[in-house]
Amino acid sequence: MKRKSALAVGAGVVAVALLLSACSSSGGTTSSSKVSAADITKAMSKSTTLNFWTWAPGLAPEVAAFEKKYPKIKVNMVNAGQGGAEYTKLQAAIDAGKGTPDVAQLEYSELPSFTVTKSVVGLNQYGAASLKSQFTPAAWSFVSAQGETWGLPQDLGPMTFIYRNDILAKAGITDAPKTWDEFATDAAAVKAKTGSYIANFNPTESAQVLGMIQQAGGNPFSYDGKKTVSVDLQSTAVKTVSDFLTKLIQSGNVSVDPGWTDDWFQAVAKGHYAGWVVGAWGPDDLTGSAGNTSGKWTAAPMPQWSASDNVGGDWGGSSDAVIKGSSNPIAAYEFVKYLNGDSASAKEMSLNPKSLLFPTKKSVLADPAFAAQKVAFFGGQTANQTFASIAATVPAGFGYLPYMTYASNDYNDTVGKAITAKSDIYTAMAKWQADLVTYGKKQGFTVNTK
Amino acid sequence: MSAVATPRGNSSHIVAPQVRAKKRKPRRERKSVILTIALWACVVYFLVPFLWLILASTKSDTDLFSSFGLAFGKAFSLFTNLGAVFSYENGSFGLWLANSAFYSLASAFGAVVLSTLAGYAFAKYKFSGGRGIFSVILGAIMIPSAALALPTYLLFANLGITNTAWAVILPSIVNPFGMYLLRIYAAEAVDDNLIEAARIDGAGELRIFWQVSVRLLGPAIVTVFLLALVGTWNNYILPLIMLNQSSLYPITVGLAQWAASSNQGGGARVLFSTVITGSLVSIIPLVAAFLYLQRYWQSGLSAGSVKG
Amino acid sequence: MTAVPLRAKPSRAGFRAQQRRLNATAYGFIAPFLLFFVLILLVPIFYALYLSLFQNQIIGGQTFIGLANYAQAFTDPKFYEGLGRILLYLVIQVPIMLILALFFALVLDSGRLKGARFVRLAIFAPYAIPGVISTLMWGYFYGGNFGLIAQIFKGIGLPAPDLLSQQNILGSMMNISTWEFVGYNMIIIYAALRSVPTELFDSAEVDGAGQWRIAWSIKIPAVRSAILLCVIFSVIGSFQLFTEPSLLQTLAPTTIDSSYTPTFYAYNLAFNNKELDYAASIAFIIGLFTAIVSYIVQFTIQRRANRA
Repeated sequence: MKRKSALAVGAGVVAVALLLSACSSSGGTTSSSKVSAADITKAMSKSTTLNFWTWAPGLAPEVAAFEKKYPKIKVNMVNAGQGGAEYTKLQAAIDAGKGTPDVAQLEYSELPSFTVTKSVVGLNQYGAASLKSQFTPAAWSFVSAQGETWGLPQDLGPMTFIYRNDILAKAGITDAPKTWDEFATDAAAVKAKTGSYIANFNPTESAQVLGMIQQAGGNPFSYDGKKTVSVDLQSTAVKTVSDFLTKLIQSGNVSVDPGWTDDWFQAVAKGHYAGWVVGAWGPDDLTGSAGNTSGKWTAAPMPQWSASDNVGGDWGGSSDAVIKGSSNPIAAYEFVKYLNGDSASAKEMSLNPKSLLFPTKKSVLADPAFAAQKVAFFGGQTANQTFASIAATVPAGFGYLPYMTYASNDYNDTVGKAITAKSDIYTAMAKWQADLVTYGKKQGFTVNTK
Repeated sequence: MSAVATPRGNSSHIVAPQVRAKKRKPRRERKSVILTIALWACVVYFLVPFLWLILASTKSDTDLFSSFGLAFGKAFSLFTNLGAVFSYENGSFGLWLANSAFYSLASAFGAVVLSTLAGYAFAKYKFSGGRGIFSVILGAIMIPSAALALPTYLLFANLGITNTAWAVILPSIVNPFGMYLLRIYAAEAVDDNLIEAARIDGAGELRIFWQVSVRLLGPAIVTVFLLALVGTWNNYILPLIMLNQSSLYPITVGLAQWAASSNQGGGARVLFSTVITGSLVSIIPLVAAFLYLQRYWQSGLSAGSVKG
Repeated sequence: MTAVPLRAKPSRAGFRAQQRRLNATAYGFIAPFLLFFVLILLVPIFYALYLSLFQNQIIGGQTFIGLANYAQAFTDPKFYEGLGRILLYLVIQVPIMLILALFFALVLDSGRLKGARFVRLAIFAPYAIPGVISTLMWGYFYGGNFGLIAQIFKGIGLPAPDLLSQQNILGSMMNISTWEFVGYNMIIIYAALRSVPTELFDSAEVDGAGQWRIAWSIKIPAVRSAILLCVIFSVIGSFQLFTEPSLLQTLAPTTIDSSYTPTFYAYNLAFNNKELDYAASIAFIIGLFTAIVSYIVQFTIQRRANRA
């Protein structure tokens, strides 16, 4: 599972929040009650080992800094697999009632799946709500729902179009396409003149397509935090994106190979694909495997649906959440807060070439050490500046279902199949919607469709 | 789970040994050029993946993606890769190898003990209900282990023993095929008169089993041991379902997880050359053991042909 | 079943006492096996049956629904598609693999091959490779743009076949299983051939019968049972196809869907869809189905053996 486009836990989770805090073993009586400074001091001086499940590599320096600040607290980082692999294990541990971590990295899209089972701890009791202004609005909207805060944003994937400027130049293209129509025209030129594809659209990347739908003004999913979800994959925005992609794919000017396979990496390294529409974390995947192409890339905003627009989309990004059952939830929260909220730590995390995390904290996005960094992979371009300005245009409030794992798997079997077969995507979206409705009802939800 | 021993996924085959079958000596024949060429061509098919694996282990990720599969890359990175294999994630790889070895040996040992005791009893004692019980067990030989993994998981989850070594070992020690093999073998290899003579001498049943019979069952015991060992070493679905914690993984699940993280993108490490080199390292013990123990395989499986 | 003959005729009462004692001993010997057999094989299956009678909802929890899951399974096109795929797989792959294995075994046994020992080891070696690693390796060869096979085709100026496409993927999986298990089946048949007494075909040779004729009319019938059992186990092995689809799915995610084989479907239902109850019913059906097939096969073999 790739990093899912990360958007808000749209409609919130107030009722669950109340329920959760009411029966929470972690202490708070209501979600608004604050833990006192004395409680925190006490918690931080209690010998504790925090188990932290994360697949982000390279967090060791920040963890070490935290341990130095709080010598009684040890943090044990565990890579329990990325995305789906981790969620399966986490769910199994929750079901078994043992072996759960204190803190887990959860993609924004998966937060509702864990709030619905009351498996994550609401953080407002520890004062998380006050951190809101420090994060970009889109990132914050992903972790907060109806008055409760379910985790702190760790990273984000504002969508960009990165491309091989040398290949596009051969096709006579010097500027990145401003609109999707231009993108289609350029795709034809690149294919005709160089034989390369301007981009590859991985047929199983629901998050990429959802990011494009978000950009087009769509918001297909929502969850009220109780029993009601809504699914609308037949909206105008979905139709715009589906029809565009259907036509583009059928033109044969873009490829539809599965992503991140060795074949795909080779295709990138060999210039078979001349570009990629991806979250800002994308380049990090290529620096090692396509090192030979370093310096030939340019980063640009994702093309727009209309020339006058300036709207972003998000693909990927995750939060760190405190998992129910933690023996020291205050310390767990303090760790999450330190890692993502402490300015020095968040900055360090974003600048560390090993951590591969695009920042969500405003102070880091504005920091010259980050924004003015000349990135060698992009031939010295200040790409972070580009990404940061895209991040500011990502709409807040994109929603997810409390069963996104099923949703993204079923996407492969419906829309993904249509993409591979180069058939109509909008029709496949209807099929996906039907499956999501059936599944939701079977799981006991009330499902609304427009 | 070697409840079911089958070639795919698990291993084992019904071959009832006919202990006293006369062995043929290989005969000297005129060599056939056509057959030789045909079979050596097939050998290429069987060995090319090994060749590729060895070559690929000497490449960095960049070389892996930019050089021809059956040639060396620009740089010789075998030692760098080996270093990465053993150091990535605090040396998980070594731990996985040790886990695989432990699970396989423990399962094989358990399977041998249970199968030998039961197979011997079915072969050498006439007791009420024996025939019926034997047929029930025999029927279970063919239930695919993969189909059983999920029900076993559900039960174990209820008992709270998932995510422990037991969850992998316990299902693997029940080996109906091994029991069957030993029964057939014992029926032929252990002479009733020997047992009877021992009884007249006043030896207890357990002592007869241990001092008289077990040594006659050697080849079959080795065969069952190897089958169970390989079955557990190669098993994927059972540990995948049962285990939740990296430090408990066997090598198959560990490597598959690394491979998956390469194929996931989005911030995960690209680990292709590490996975490839790890694969090479992990198959060395088994290939070596196989080639070395090949004659035991044959003597156990082949002590005769199939009856039945 | 061979029973221990009692040499001296004891008194009737003494006989009964001894029989009781032997009965007890026999049960003592089979008890450990039996205990684990029941706990590991039978209990999980019935536990799965029990769970499958309930529905687990994210909202609403557990409710008794009787046989509704079975009604769903028997009308579930995804389940039938997976089952159909498995049947197709075994009708094609099993014969190819076993004919190859038989051919190799016959050639090795004929003694007309140069370097026979090496050939035998080379063909057998892939059996030592865990399915996980074989699948990962072949995955590298199958890539449509830059996989090893595509590289070779392009190198000699031919269009590269898409081995991961809807039409070809099943064949690509068959190739992996064949590569892995031909050698194993070969060794078993070869072992059986080695114990066919020479006298059987010496006279035929004297009569001037060719090698092929001897193979066809003497050797193959002599190892018929070995072949038959290879068939049975390969068939059952096909039913648990899991490793190949689960690892190749990353390479062909829209071709290998979540219900590609029944076992893979059960796994995905349980762990991705949170439909444990429905997964349990699918697993129970697979288990029951194979158990029935298995008993029919046992019964047939036993009858044939009794006739012979």
